[in-house]
This record gives sequence, C-alpha cells and structure tokens, in this order.
Amino acid sequence: MTGEPILHVEGVTKTFGMRRTLRERVGRAEAAEHRAVDDVSFTVGRGEILGLAGGSGSGKTTLARCLIRLVEPDSGAVRLGDDDVLAAKGADLRELRRRMQMVFQDPYASLNPRMTVGTALHEAGRVHRRPGSEDADRFVTELLARVHLSPTIAARRPRELSGGQRQRVAVARALAVGPEVLIADEAVSALDVSVQAQLLNLFLDLRDELGVAIVFVAHQLAVIAEVADRVAIMHQGRMVEIGDAGVVLRDPQHEYTRALLAAHPHPDPRGRAGVA
Amino acid sequence: MSTATLTPPARPSAAGRLLRRVWRQPLPVRIGGVLVGILVFAAVFAPLLAPYGQNDLDFNAQLQGPSLAHPMGTDDTGRDVFSRTLYGLRIDLAVVLFITYVPLPIGVLMGAIAGYFGGKVDLVISRIIDITIAFPFIVLVIAIVAIVGPGLTGIMIGVPIVAWALYARLARSEMLVLREQPFMLATTALGYTRRRAILRHAVPNLMRSSLIYSTVDLVVNLLLLAGLSYLGLGMQPPNAELGTIIAEGQANLLNAWWITTLPGLVLVVFGVGVGLIGDGLSDGELRGGGA
Amino acid sequence: MTAVAQDLPGVADATTDALLSVDGLRVEFGPADAPLVAVKDVGLTIAPGEIVGLIGESGSGKSLTCRSIMRLIGAPGRVTAGTVDFEGRDVLAMSSKELRDFRAHDVGMIYQDPFSSLNPVMRIGDHLRETLRANRGMSKAEARAEGIALLERVGIPDPERRYLSYPHELSGGMRQRVMIALATASRPRLLLADEPTTALDVTTQAQILDLLTDMRRELGMAVLVVSHDFGVIAQVCDRVCVMYGGHVVETGPVERIYADPQHPYTKALLDSVPDMESAGNPVRREGIPGYPPELTDVLPGCVFAPRCAHARPGCTSVPMVLQPVDAAAPDAGSTACPVRPFSVGGPFDPVAGSPPDPVAVPVSPQPAAATAAMTAAETAARAQTGDPGDLPAPGEARITQPTDQESTR
Repeated sequence: MTGEPILHVEGVTKTFGMRRTLRERVGRAEAAEHRAVDDVSFTVGRGEILGLAGGSGSGKTTLARCLIRLVEPDSGAVRLGDDDVLAAKGADLRELRRRMQMVFQDPYASLNPRMTVGTALHEAGRVHRRPGSEDADRFVTELLARVHLSPTIAARRPRELSGGQRQRVAVARALAVGPEVLIADEAVSALDVSVQAQLLNLFLDLRDELGVAIVFVAHQLAVIAEVADRVAIMHQGRMVEIGDAGVVLRDPQHEYTRALLAAHPHPDPRGRAGVA
Repeated sequence: MSTATLTPPARPSAAGRLLRRVWRQPLPVRIGGVLVGILVFAAVFAPLLAPYGQNDLDFNAQLQGPSLAHPMGTDDTGRDVFSRTLYGLRIDLAVVLFITYVPLPIGVLMGAIAGYFGGKVDLVISRIIDITIAFPFIVLVIAIVAIVGPGLTGIMIGVPIVAWALYARLARSEMLVLREQPFMLATTALGYTRRRAILRHAVPNLMRSSLIYSTVDLVVNLLLLAGLSYLGLGMQPPNAELGTIIAEGQANLLNAWWITTLPGLVLVVFGVGVGLIGDGLSDGELRGGGA
Repeated sequence: MTAVAQDLPGVADATTDALLSVDGLRVEFGPADAPLVAVKDVGLTIAPGEIVGLIGESGSGKSLTCRSIMRLIGAPGRVTAGTVDFEGRDVLAMSSKELRDFRAHDVGMIYQDPFSSLNPVMRIGDHLRETLRANRGMSKAEARAEGIALLERVGIPDPERRYLSYPHELSGGMRQRVMIALATASRPRLLLADEPTTALDVTTQAQILDLLTDMRRELGMAVLVVSHDFGVIAQVCDRVCVMYGGHVVETGPVERIYADPQHPYTKALLDSVPDMESAGNPVRREGIPGYPPELTDVLPGCVFAPRCAHARPGCTSVPMVLQPVDAAAPDAGSTACPVRPFSVGGPFDPVAGSPPDPVAVPVSPQPAAATAAMTAAETAARAQTGDPGDLPAPGEARITQPTDQESTR
C-alpha cells in the first residue's frame, strides 16, 4: 500500500429486487431478489491502484457505482477520508462526488455529443470553481496536456475523435475537478490493445504525478496485472479474494480466481490446451 | 412568384447564410425548404403582395374564375381570393407556429424531468400526461371559447394545453434511455446539479426527435386550425383564414371551384414542404455549418 | 501444430487446393469519385479443415474481409475489385440463387453479439427448424430430431428442454452455442466466426474456443476466426493473417508469428498485449504511438510507416506486397515489410515491380502492378498519423467507420 487509506468501504450491499407479484405484496412471501453486491469491504490508499476483477454479473460495476452513489447501496458504509459518503446530501454530496471521479467504459457514449471538448472540460472546472478555471483556454490546454492531447482538439466534438482520444478526454474531464480517487470502470476494455497500452501508462502517470488513488475495474486479469498494486476478485457479488497483485495473481487461494486465471487466453500458442 | 427566389442575395446576411445552408441539404429537404420558404415569404409580405384588401367587396366582379386581375378568382361578394389567401396564410402560419412551438419546449422539459428523476416524480407527470392526452380536445376548445369568446384566442390557449403532452411523452421515453448513457452518469459523478444535468446536457439531446415530430405536428395543427375555423370556433368573419375561406366557398363549390380548391392547394403545398423537411431531418443529421 | 493440421495438405500448396481463396479484395465506401477504401487489396487462403485467424485492430478491415466472403457487405459499402474463390466458384460473380445456395450449404457464420443475433420472439427450436427445413429440406419431425441432436453436439445440456426455450432464457455462452449449432446445421465446409467470443466472459470464451476446435475435428470444417485478441487467435488457429489499415501485413503459422514476427506491426501488437507476468511489478508498455489510420487517411507506401519504430525514408514509397519470410521455407509465411529482419535493421529490399513467385508464397501474392498503380494514386497527399497521443492533422479526423466496429464496442 502506497499511502494512508483514503477510501474505506465497509459491508456495502446492494440488492436489486425483482418486481413483486401481487401475492408477494399481500402475503408474507419474500420477493425474489438479486444480490448484486454482497457485504463487500476494502480500503484504498493514497496513490494506490486497486484492481477490481470479475466476470460479467460479478457485481464489480455495481460496486464501483455504489462508491459515488450512482447506485444507492442498501447498507454498509463508504468513507472518503473522514467524510461519510452515504450520509451526504445536496452540496456536500456533490463535493464528495467531485473528489471521487469516474471514467466509463464506452468512449463513444461518455462524452456529450453536442459539446466541444473544450466546453465540456471547462464546464467541469467552472462548476466547482477550480483554481485556474477563470482562464478557460489555459485551463483546457493544461488538462489536455496532462492526458497527452494536443490543444487543437479543444474545438472538436466527440464524433471527430478516435476511441483512444475520447477516453483521454474523459480522463481529462475527471481530472478537471481535482479528484482524490479515480474510478476507472472498464476504462480501457473497449480500446485496441496498442491504444490500451498508452491509456494504462496514463493511469500509472496520474498515480505517480498526482498521487490519486485509482480503483481500476476490468474483466481482463492481464490488464489489471499491468497496473494494479493490489487486486480484488469479485464473484457473484462477493469479494472472494483481495491482496497484493503479485500474490493474488501468482498464487491464488480461491478456486474462482484459479478458474479465471486458467481460462485466461495466453498469447503464446505453445501453451494452449488440447495440443496433441 | 418564382422571380422572388431567383433574386440573388444582395448581402451575405443572416438570410443569405440560411439560404446557403439550406442549399447544402439533400434534394428533398431543398425542395421542401423552397416550398415552405415561398409560403412563409408570401405570408410575411402579404400586405405588400396582395393586390386587394382582404375584405374589399366588388359587386361588379362576383364569382369570377382565375384571371390576371384575380389570380385565384373572386368569391360571391367579389373579394379577391388570392389576397384573402395571402392574409389567411399569414394569420394561419403565425398561429400554427405559436401552437406548435410554445408547447414543444414545455413538453420536452416535463418529459426530461419525469424521465430523469423517475419514481414518484415520473408517476405524477406521467399521469398528468395520460389525462391530458385522454381529454376530449374539441370539448376543451369549445369550453375555452365559451369563456374567452369566439376567435383565435381560444385555439391559442386550448391547443398548447394539450399539445405539450405528446412532446413530454416522447421526451420522457428518450430520457429513460439517455439517463443511462455514460455521459449523463458522468454529470452526476462530476457533481453537477440536477438542473444543469437536465437543462444543459439532457435537453439539447432530446430536442432532435421532438423537432422532427414537430414537422408532423405543424401540418396537423394547420389542418386543425382550418377545421376549427370551418366549425366556426376559430377566426371570425369577415377576416380571412384558410379554413374560413374554404368553408365560405363550399356553397359555390360546383359553380366556383377555385374558392375552395386553390386555398386548399396552398394547405397541401405547405404540408408536403414541411413533410419533406421532416423526412430529411429524421433520415440523418442535417449537414451543419462545416465542410 | 495440432494433429489435424499435420494431416492437412501442406500449407505451401494451399493456393492450389484451397477451400477458399480471396485475392485482390477491395472494399469501398462513400462516393464513387472519391471513395473511402476500407479494404485494399487483401488476399488470403484457407485449406480444408484449417483454422485461420484474421487479427487486426478497429478499422483494419478484418470484419469487412470476412463479410465479403459471404457477400454480406451492405450499402453503402461495396466490393470493387478482387475475387473470392470457393472451390473453383467465384462467389462475387454468383447469381442470387447460387448465392443463396452457397450461403445455405457451403458456409456458416457466427457473430460477435449472441444477444442480438437470435430473434427474441422465436424459440431456439424455431430457429433450428427453420434452417433445417429450408436448407436441408427436412420434415417437421426430422428437423426436430436433428435440431436436438445439433444442440447436443454443441454441448448444450438438456437439449430437449432448451429446444423449447426462448433466447432470453439462455446465458450468453449458451446463445453463442446455439448460434454455432445454427451456423453448422447444414454441415458447411467453412465457418466464419466474426469476433465469436468478444462479448463473453473469459471462462465462457475458453469453452466456446474449445467447441470450435472440436467441431473442426469432428466435421473437418475449416474456420476463419476474426479477432482483435491475439490470445484468442493463439488458442485455436493454425495460421494467422495480420491485418492493418486494410492490408494483410503478415501471414504465417501462429507459432512462428508469435515467436518470430517478421513485420514491425505484428511485433508491436504482440508487445502491446497485456501479460499476466507483470502481476506485482507493474510495467509500462510502449504500445504503438499514434492511432490506427482512419478511412479518410490516405497513406502512400507502407500503411504502418507513420507509427513504425523501424521506418526508413523509403517506407513511404514501397508497395504493400507480401514476400516470403524465408525463401527456403515456404511454410513460414510472408510479410509486407521490405526490411528483413527489421529487428536488426536488415537490408531494405522492396519488391521492384514484378510479382513474387506465386509458388513460393503460401498466401496469395498481390499483383504488384495493381498495387503500384494504387500507390501512385495515393501518393498525392501524405497524411500523418504519427506523434504519440496527439492528433492527426486537421481535416482527417472525422470518423467514418461504417461497419468495422468490432473491437471498439
């Protein structure tokens, strides 16, 4: 762990109820429910990258969204520093959300198609009165430089950018509000591998240069292996294993982690299963 | 009339830029634009273009067929149908634009709010929408006319009271999809207020389909206006309005076809023109100001 | 190589008794007078029973190449040059009846998204029965029995019950199995698999890849696997074609490609693949600077040159022609890079205008004359997509990738 803990998650649970039938509403029968996140606890330190892995339906995205209350957890506690995220309201909640930013998977949908890059970046800074945001051009240029983009793209709209560029803009927009925790929800999964490598480096740079903590959600274990200091494995809503990346991915204790590792497609054809 | 469109734009004014922008659109949109443009031009400049006053009687020229002096003929009191059509179009277009584009933003906003918040807010707004759409519209207009008296005021109050609901329903269903889009989630994550998320991020993305639908609504409303006037609920005589012209002409339909047919054709041309523009809009993004 | 692959006719002879051979394929979009060329002069061959991988990033043209084989390119896209030869028949010249017959009996296709490729209001059995009755002329009872047998063959448990299920009642992996059952219902000799596992979990992915290998063994069916993921390709393929910017840049046996890539793009692509070995001590991979070319980019010479770490001045004028990696070992495949071996700065040896010896080249050689003519036409404007993390020059960034969207969704 790199620094003192900044994000504390304790016993977070989120249940999505199925629509109850009339009989269930009238009688005492429990409605069928789906525990998307089941009693999950962990902490993330300053400047630490926590990889959160699991298959589809494992609850990793729901958990990530619970952290900034895009999804309201049913129970548990989320604290950012000393502040209780789940109890915050109104302006306090908006301020807490500012301190925890999210980058989404789909670079084609995570930017407002009707706004230029510059407008979107400046808006984020201006809303929270970030230092430097009075000078729009300079503010935008510095943000773009931070994610290694040329200032000329400030005038463009998302549809004029490639997937990798859009995802950089999404990261820049998150940085515009000065977050302490960055939640990357499958942020590189939709990108080509060659561009993916550049984005992974960008996340490592942000951690090193700004000291942000990063919760890095991905379904590809190898991607997580590239960046994470610690790894948490989710399965059916539960966190089945958490620990240092080298330990979890090299010497997994839980059978689900082993199954994930075994199924991982290795690029070396000599090692493939079923070779005669 | 064609000479009006052939006149080269004297200065690169806003109108000139609009013309040039229209010219870059696909052919059907251009044709629609020209048709609607001619009608709007005629309506705006009706007092200049009309050879006679709309209520000038001429008992020496009753029920005359189309001629150079009277391009659309005259009616049974010798009024010039062309002049009456121009004045009628003028008032019709103004009223139709009002009753179409006043409810549109209201409806989009209500729909956006319902879709964005969901839950109880959605429940309340959706029920209001349902009731509004289910309400017998003609009865409502008659009731309003009974209160404010006959004339266009009743229509201008009655139609918007109902028409917003269709836009609201459309916008709400789009908002349900839009709010799950990552860029809308991002407005929450970025700590923006809901007001900003709805007004600045959602509504501009919801306007497009409502604008497309409004081209259908424009035609429907024009016909509605003509129909209500025909029923005697709209424009009061002697002033001209396309529906009243047509209604007055029906007594002489067999011996003076032009009184009903030619103003009716103007309605058709407007409907076709707006329809072509609407089709072009829904087929794809209009070609913008860029290359 | 797998046991099956060793029983196959030598790869070097693939051109002579290939099941499928694509040559000089060109796919265009946009206006005829200023077309956007998505696939430029692509050739590949597949021998009977062989599993060939087509790997590339978004916009490389791999999916379009795959769809061209079944003539599934919809307007505004169009094939403007080339041949698709299936057992001596030219697919691109088929009448609509012949084409229907070809699609029904000779070739099957599965897609990336098992969620939308089944009709949600039809039961699994309805899908199968429709295919079996139309394509194999079975009676209702026969179709039912065969349908259940097909489900069993693709490893669906309790096939009698699943025969009556609706698509939404099945998991993604099960749906992809149903797709494979449908695509192989008429026992085609070639299966086209367009990103077959991209939408699936890794554990399911491994099962589906195993199933493809099993089906090949049991039915003697050739498979073309289109993927952006070298991990997937490495699991199942005998041979690989690497695509970039609408061209095949390298081809060869998967083991050789992995161990000794002979094109700088292949090397850089393999170096970008994240690796479990970095667990615990995070590494920084270089990736490939810049971004893949857009359709609107016109790049003379080697399409990879603007992003290539080994590029030389001559690279912007060489034709994209595949040459054998090793003249003495025709099985080793071929590469479009004239610098060989590029890794040690070997001699620059572009093709001088005469096509290479077709016998020596396993995967259909490009007619150099055509390539040269195209290159000349494209030399007019030299666009740059180079500097890392920075934009291409203004005016070329408008994204128009009408169909090749596989790896970015």
